[in-house]
Amino acid sequence: MRYAAIVIGGGPAGMAAACAADGTKKVLIIEREARLGGILKQCVHDGFGVIRFGEKLSGPEYADRFIDEVYSRKNIDVRTLTFVTGIEKRDGYFVVTTTSGKGIVSYEGENLILACGCRERTARQVNIHGTRPAGLMTAGAAQNLVNLQGVNPAGKCVILGSGDIGLIMARRLTLEGSTVIGVYEAKSAPSGLSRNLQQCLYDFDIPLHLKKTVTLVHGRDRVEGVTVADVDDEMRPIAGTEEYIPCDALIVSVGLIPENELAEKLGIITDPKTKGPIVDQYMMTTLDGVYSVGNALHVHDLVDYVSEVAETAGKDAGRRKERATIEVGSRGLGYIVPQKVDVLNQEEYTVYYFRTARETGKAKLTVTVNGVEIYSKKYSALRPPEAERVRIKHSLKAGDELKFVLEEEDDRKA
Amino acid sequence: MTERLETICIVCPNGCRLVAERKGNAIEVRGNKCPRGIAYAEAEMTAPTRSFTGTVASVFAEMPVVPVRTAGEVPKDKIKEIAAQTREILLKRAYATGEVAEANICGTGVDLIVTADMRKVVGNTEGV
Amino acid sequence: MVDVKKIKKKLVKAGFADIGVSEFNGGVRLTGEAERYEDVLECGTLAVAKGSRGVINDVKVKGYVPEKMRVSPVSDDKYDGKSPDVLVIGGGIVGAAIARELTKYALSVTLVEKEYDIATGQSARNDGMIHAGIDLKPASNKVKYNCRGNAMYPELSKELDVPIEMCGQCVLYTARWQKILFPLIKLRGAKNGIPVEKLDNEGVKKLIPSPGIKYGGFMCPSAGILSPYLMTVALAENAAKNGAEICTDTAVTAIVNDGEKITAVKTNRGTFYPKVVVNAAGVYSDVIAEWAGDRHFTIHPRRGVEAVLDKKARKTTSTVIGKFVIKSSTGKGHTKGGGVIVTIDGNLILGPSASETPERENEATTAKEFDEVFEKQKKLAPELKRSDVITYFAGTRAATYEEEFVVEKSPVIKNLVQAAGIQSPGVTAAPAIAKDVAKWAAEIVFDGKVKMNENFDPIRKGIPRPAEMEPEARKKLIEENPDYGVVVCRCEEVTKGEIVEALRRPAAVMAVDAVKRRVRAGMGRCQGGFCTPLVMKIISEECGIPLNEVRKKGAGSEIAPRYTKGGDK
Repeated sequence: MRYAAIVIGGGPAGMAAACAADGTKKVLIIEREARLGGILKQCVHDGFGVIRFGEKLSGPEYADRFIDEVYSRKNIDVRTLTFVTGIEKRDGYFVVTTTSGKGIVSYEGENLILACGCRERTARQVNIHGTRPAGLMTAGAAQNLVNLQGVNPAGKCVILGSGDIGLIMARRLTLEGSTVIGVYEAKSAPSGLSRNLQQCLYDFDIPLHLKKTVTLVHGRDRVEGVTVADVDDEMRPIAGTEEYIPCDALIVSVGLIPENELAEKLGIITDPKTKGPIVDQYMMTTLDGVYSVGNALHVHDLVDYVSEVAETAGKDAGRRKERATIEVGSRGLGYIVPQKVDVLNQEEYTVYYFRTARETGKAKLTVTVNGVEIYSKKYSALRPPEAERVRIKHSLKAGDELKFVLEEEDDRKA
Repeated sequence: MTERLETICIVCPNGCRLVAERKGNAIEVRGNKCPRGIAYAEAEMTAPTRSFTGTVASVFAEMPVVPVRTAGEVPKDKIKEIAAQTREILLKRAYATGEVAEANICGTGVDLIVTADMRKVVGNTEGV
Repeated sequence: MVDVKKIKKKLVKAGFADIGVSEFNGGVRLTGEAERYEDVLECGTLAVAKGSRGVINDVKVKGYVPEKMRVSPVSDDKYDGKSPDVLVIGGGIVGAAIARELTKYALSVTLVEKEYDIATGQSARNDGMIHAGIDLKPASNKVKYNCRGNAMYPELSKELDVPIEMCGQCVLYTARWQKILFPLIKLRGAKNGIPVEKLDNEGVKKLIPSPGIKYGGFMCPSAGILSPYLMTVALAENAAKNGAEICTDTAVTAIVNDGEKITAVKTNRGTFYPKVVVNAAGVYSDVIAEWAGDRHFTIHPRRGVEAVLDKKARKTTSTVIGKFVIKSSTGKGHTKGGGVIVTIDGNLILGPSASETPERENEATTAKEFDEVFEKQKKLAPELKRSDVITYFAGTRAATYEEEFVVEKSPVIKNLVQAAGIQSPGVTAAPAIAKDVAKWAAEIVFDGKVKMNENFDPIRKGIPRPAEMEPEARKKLIEENPDYGVVVCRCEEVTKGEIVEALRRPAAVMAVDAVKRRVRAGMGRCQGGFCTPLVMKIISEECGIPLNEVRKKGAGSEIAPRYTKGGDK
């Protein structure tokens, strides 16, 4: 039997893609963990689904709605505790080989939807030195231990990185009786959503220290303390500003990296800015029939958009016979997704996600086709941690030059 | 009584930076992109509320802790008390999403509800 | 005889008039105080002399209190009163190889290791090279044991089911003129039976697509690679299988000797009364030698920092890359300069650096050392990127002032055999050192009439590695045990079956890092971010340890020490 689509990853992206792809043909979800839901299983905080369901759900609640949907569909097969060991491209289909307690099984699929999520950057990957004792871990690992296993790694801890997981864990650990001495951020602005600063730090009087980083971890068996230091504009520690802080844990939340090892093995080209595959407006990668969705494509702020993007991919799987893409040009943006547009198969509206390259005051986004403005939008302020979504009506043809330009309003006067 | 407040709206992910000022009996709010921001700022000036999220213990090895949240918002100053109370709760059967783990938690008038379908995870739904 | 006066003169000339020089135990003993640690090192180096057994450097740095030896907090009488034929002190690769070699004789063997597991010191903190030995001083213990050990590895690899790869080492010239030295290099190799092949730049390019230096070099095809910690574990497992007892968390705290013979060895877990003691104590081997009654050398720890790169970087080279370092005849320049080392697991290692330190056990890295290592080795392979670095580590090598291995039957203490001062190329040399040391120890116990262990089984089966199996074999393995189908560590594709098996082996240790050294769970690019909770759960379930007591390393390293809901209701 050949599946219409094989979805690798049973998190929010994979589940949404599978549900959207489920027409009359069979779809398979392969999940390496014991349960569907992905990282949402451990995100017990709320705020999920505000856009999609108009409700503030917890991560497991949001996941459950999709899990129920997946299991109610006759055409979706699910394999949990199943790990993909290899993918082979054949003429017009793919062979996905897996391992599980049931053995080595290969599945055939006409399309592949890669929804493998992302991993966390580690302390050593941001140049933290010293020892490697117990108590040093990523925020995601701490979240798993606290929220799924019910054990707490921290008594008195320092959190490095003001990304959302770091902020959420500051509150979570506080509520579980740990003392969070402070959140340290090497950048000059916090990395997480503004509302998380308010409800996770300010509400609990947890100090946020900007332009400071952890340079050293002390302690051999268990963390005994960390050295923090001011950083310069290039985020290098400044000698002489070191301060020793006694603590028994260092929780690190210093960025997420899309997991694209499978995509890379297939020769799919990735965007150095997103660290995910380059895709067209249906999330099809540079390899026909292979899609990338969710945090494997680019790290999203909101699961609601993860679901939306994944559905676009799921619906498209197997639909187009041919495609011809043009590049999406940009200036002033941190990144933009999709990076290409298929001009042969356009919908009335195309959705783009972008991040500003740097923090701005009032700014204006202008979209041009062959130099002619087709869309503009004004923003009161933009921050790189907060991705923006725009829906643009255009009808493009091969050879057109599409360009997104973000300018700070003050820049223009100068 | 607070006269002026600068805060970040937590109602939705937009994170509007709000400035609220008491003008006589009225409260003037700036910086909001939608009406919910006004309501939020007014509440922050008078009686701030939050929702609580966390976990409670269960008797099931497959799910030693179970996610919970308050069904609605509770007074902000009750959050720590609720957190302490969640350590005392033990779920002895497999609850469905939305089932009440403890009614009227800490006298707030709001229920603490389970936010994961335990029946999907645990084999023996009867409990012990 | 040692010419004490001549050494004194050298010290005075160098500005160390206050340092006392005396003959002691056949060596040269230095006493007094120095301003800086560098001065202590300089004095020690100046005191190296022909006819001396070694330098006993007791010069102290003013105001510096040396760290105390780390002793496990475990304290009981578990081993009190045990009287093995041979007690091996130290569970590094040398101690483990000796313990295994000893079980070939009809002897009772005990190995004590002060840390929570074997292979936690320098044996786990090196780049895993099986050295060819081309750079070693001729007619030294180092070159002798290195070449013998190198030749033993292919068979050892088969017996213990530990993979090795004889990938060779490519040494690059740093200047065009150096190629004229090739005949000399070849001759030096020939003396020790080390083959050397000439490489022009084109030849280099076949091995390293974009070398950083383009003057050609030479190839030592007899160099290879292995996982040094896996080899140490395998040696200990096989020793245990053949009857050796491996005692971890067991630190020697004192040795009782009557000037001729050791009568007792005290530890934090009771006193041993062995017939023979083997000193394989690494960076503490001089301290053990002193306690045992025959100290004639000094360990001056040499730190090395190494960086581990993502497997994606392995395409940079197919072989180990080193840089040609010309050593002066005075024997200066004790580092081979490090290099870009391919690992048996498919990563790259950069390093090591080499810096002197008075701290024997400081395994913390510093940004400065890491930067130096990275920038230096990047010159050999300019494609390397910092973003490929997944982790880095530091270790301390047990260097003596003679820069030589001390491998001897003690002429002073009748029942002491020493394998001390084993630094690079210690991994390569270990099996050969073990052969001699075990033989000497057996001769002492049996008083000449050596009896062999007829039941010795040299074979240790490795833990199955499904990720590297052919599909059919993998299928069969999963049929027999479904746990071998369930992947726990996604980066390294390590299954639950492997982890459970690692916990059931002889000399197993119930800690996350011990599992990591045995099966690589947590060694990949996410560095255990995803699998740590899963490995903890497996340890908890398999060993019956409550989850909050599962440790990363030794006692006191519980990963998540508290239940959030106040215990198991």
